[in-house]
Amino acid sequence: MSIQSPKEIGGISFGLMDPETYRDMSATKVITADTYDDDGYPIDMGLMDPRLGVIDPGLECRTCGRHSGSCNGHFGHIELAAPVIHVGFTKLIRRLLRSTCRQCGRLALNDEQKEEFRDRLVRAKELNEDPNDVLKAAVRQARKSSTCPHCGEPQADIKHEKPTTYYEVQNVLSGDYSERIAEAMQPDPDDEDDVGLSPQDLADKAEISLERVNQMLAGEFRPRKDDRRSLEKALGIDLTEEDMNKLMPSDIRDWFEDIPDEDIEVLGINSEKSRPEWIILTVLPVPPVTARPSITLDNGQRSEDDLTHKLVDIIRINQRFMENREAGAPQLIIEDLWELLQYHVTTFIDNEISGTPPARHRSGRPLKTLSQRLKGKEGRFRGSLSGKRVNFSARTVISPDPTLSLNEVGVPDRVATEMTITINVTERNIEEAQQYVSNGPENHPGSNYVKRPDGRRLKVTEKNCEELATKVEAGWEVNRHLVDGDIVIFNRQPSLHRMSIMAHEVVVMPYKTFRLNTVVCPPYNADFDGDEMNLHALQTEEARAEARVLMRVQEQILSPRFGENIIGAIQDHISGTYLLTHENPQFSETQALDLLRATRVDALPDPDGEDEMGSPYWTGQTIFSLLLPGDLNLEFTSSTGDTVIVENGQLLEGTIDEDAVGAFGGEIVDTLVKQYSERRARIFVNEIASLAMRAIMHFGFSIGIDDESIPPEADEQVDEAIRNAYERIGGLIQTYENGELESLPGRTVDETLEMKIMQTLGKARDSAGEIAEDHFTEDNPAVVMARSGARGSMLNLTQMAGCVGQQAVRGERINRGYEDRTLAHYKPHDLSAEAHGFVENSYRGGLTPREFFFHAMGGREGLVDTAVRTSKSGYLQRRLINALSELEAQYDGTVRDTSDTIVQFEYGEDGTSPVRVSSSEDFDIDVDSIVDRVVEAEFESAAEKSAFLDRQEPPTNLSEYGEPRGYEEVESDD
Amino acid sequence: MVDVSQHELVPEHILLDDDSEVEEVLEEYNIKKTDLPKIKRTDPALPDEAAPGDVIKIIRDSRTTDKAIVYRLVIQ
Repeated sequence: MSIQSPKEIGGISFGLMDPETYRDMSATKVITADTYDDDGYPIDMGLMDPRLGVIDPGLECRTCGRHSGSCNGHFGHIELAAPVIHVGFTKLIRRLLRSTCRQCGRLALNDEQKEEFRDRLVRAKELNEDPNDVLKAAVRQARKSSTCPHCGEPQADIKHEKPTTYYEVQNVLSGDYSERIAEAMQPDPDDEDDVGLSPQDLADKAEISLERVNQMLAGEFRPRKDDRRSLEKALGIDLTEEDMNKLMPSDIRDWFEDIPDEDIEVLGINSEKSRPEWIILTVLPVPPVTARPSITLDNGQRSEDDLTHKLVDIIRINQRFMENREAGAPQLIIEDLWELLQYHVTTFIDNEISGTPPARHRSGRPLKTLSQRLKGKEGRFRGSLSGKRVNFSARTVISPDPTLSLNEVGVPDRVATEMTITINVTERNIEEAQQYVSNGPENHPGSNYVKRPDGRRLKVTEKNCEELATKVEAGWEVNRHLVDGDIVIFNRQPSLHRMSIMAHEVVVMPYKTFRLNTVVCPPYNADFDGDEMNLHALQTEEARAEARVLMRVQEQILSPRFGENIIGAIQDHISGTYLLTHENPQFSETQALDLLRATRVDALPDPDGEDEMGSPYWTGQTIFSLLLPGDLNLEFTSSTGDTVIVENGQLLEGTIDEDAVGAFGGEIVDTLVKQYSERRARIFVNEIASLAMRAIMHFGFSIGIDDESIPPEADEQVDEAIRNAYERIGGLIQTYENGELESLPGRTVDETLEMKIMQTLGKARDSAGEIAEDHFTEDNPAVVMARSGARGSMLNLTQMAGCVGQQAVRGERINRGYEDRTLAHYKPHDLSAEAHGFVENSYRGGLTPREFFFHAMGGREGLVDTAVRTSKSGYLQRRLINALSELEAQYDGTVRDTSDTIVQFEYGEDGTSPVRVSSSEDFDIDVDSIVDRVVEAEFESAAEKSAFLDRQEPPTNLSEYGEPRGYEEVESDD
Repeated sequence: MVDVSQHELVPEHILLDDDSEVEEVLEEYNIKKTDLPKIKRTDPALPDEAAPGDVIKIIRDSRTTDKAIVYRLVIQ
């Protein structure tokens, strides 16, 4: 009985609620502004009345009879002594007041206009436009008429004083009308011809009897409206003043009651569901206690929820209001109390209204009322519904492990014994399940909980595990520990693209960190300087299958961002393959086997030759070729600059570096995914990483400060180059000061000078760099890294060895600091290079204090830029995602939103996925190579042909543990 | 005045003045007229005779598919 079957929601409609409905659904009327009595029992008809639901365990709800946990709570109500305005509707109230007649309540539009706006509303809804624009236009139109088109009553302007006060503004006869008339009758002192107006003249002109005019002048008779108008016309003056008549909520309610149903439809209100007078509250719903539970503190004191505090205030004022009114208190006091009641109801609904001081807790903290519970990042929508904390998740620091496959993740044993996967026991896995249970919760492949078919969950303990294992039967559920080969989801924040969340296979390991292969660092943008990552264990078979097919790391090698691989060799891997293949070194049998020990290759091909000692050798390119598929053909230019040629799986010439195997578009990895399979590419990337690590360890690779030093004569040349630049700049400044410098088109003379100086200094740095570069040897580790694309650039190197160069802030030389100079060390208006942040020393040589200061200025700008950029782009991304989240590619190829409006007629104009398109630049789609391959297959023998046609899909999504040992099938491809 | 519709970057905008053509498009995508993307009547790329409620066929050059055809509903 307590478990209800799930139901599908057909639709949701929003509207106003009839106060009568409040009363009907209310469990009790609340009249006492108190919670518990001295004995700790809830007060009847108080704010914690047991009919409003239960929060204390063991008690029974007086309305539904259920206990805490299963009783959702029930609304109560407070009868308000006087109607008050609901703050959430102040704009709608203003709109209704302005567009309807104060007398008859009808919309101040004629039938044609009404019809027009009704049609426009329907059209706006059809075209997905904002209906508010139409409603605003309707109100604007209605406001134009000064009298009601139905009853002829003149309309007053409505003034809205935020948040909840409304005034009717009318022009009425001014109090000092007689003085104003008399003054206007006086002759104009500046105009000698003007003799003024006698009362008789005025009477004639305004067509009022002289007697009346005299009475008016004496202030004994207040002119009626007609008389006033004619007097104003005769004298050319204004006799009125504005009169503000405050509209009490009860007045507004009476007004709204008169608005006919057909008129509110034009204003966008559904008359079947809502009536405008329901906006004005006459009865206030009291949220159930389950929505505002009180907390018992350690010392036994009860601490009430903010909403309860607010309700106490409301009831107190409500009570006082009623007492005062019954006692016949003066109108002034009643109005004050009314305003106070309005304030409390307002802050109960929203405590962040501008112009209203927020209601505060005793401690001075603003109360968190209804609106605050829903709004913002931590509110109900963004904080509790769209995103919430989850079970079956773990988070810890990450560290690298090159022995893992890129598909794997090392999970600490203490995580694996805590995180569980639910398995449904059947007759086929019952023995396995019993084994998990009998291992208990502390031995690794054990289990933590079992669930009986009747829904009861039992904790597996060291004591009961043996006994429990015998009881496990088909139909039970066992929460077993994570074991090797389980599929889990792994994530690093910020999750900026889909490769930030990928599925990995578990490898349970000792110690406390998650371990991952270094080649998956680029997609996660992870490093190991303290980064933490999250892991989620999947709980249903469908989820696990889906994750394995769609989300596994090997399925994400290609990035949809640029259609090339994002997973590949990085950093030392690239240095390693460079050392292995550049200038093609030779290896003895033991060395060659050592290089290949972590790969599936266990036999060497025929040696490439014999050295002078007569022992066979293998070249680096041969060893590298062992990892390639036997039929791979490729030709491209490497980042080192030579041409790489691969024929029939043999690397014939060229250096393997970033452009061949690197993340972000390594040609070989990219080709393997596209022409072979994700699986083949995964094997290749794994093996290249191991081979490269072995290779770099074979050669030894280190870098120290002496690797960036250049001989003294080179230093001399660098100084010479800089001296030359200084001289040229001196000349430029001289011509400028003589006024002889010619400005470049579209620039001032000052700008021209700046540009020319910058240019000269740039050249000086470059030539210093060239000089330094000339003195580095090919085997310099920093050069190796820069050439191969592993890390760093030649620019970094020249800055270390030659000259750091010009420091810039906002793309200009440094110009800030003191008046007309950058530092107190320089004369004002010094235009020289060193006074504006040119650093002539190298990092290795060391900067002077002034250079250091300028360098810090430039460096600071970089830091500020990144900080600003991340926060800006984060917000932009959020908005973009919110705008695009409901778009979906449909089966007919179109992209539509949830209301079926078409956004694109063909996904991306061409209906193709970026990761399925050839990345070769010569052909948009690599038709030639496809035809080649197809034709080649066609020309083979009949047996080959049938093999081709009966070919089975490569088993891309099997676990690595499910694959045959030794990778025979991959070999058979070759 | 510059006639932008003659500019090389402005794709061809063709008014579907035959109701059956419009019907065909709506049939193909199984949509109502209002589910189409919109274009304002005041858009300078539109042919002069286009009126609100008309459907426009736009033929764009595409790098990948040569020609990409889209339809838009004229509004206001």
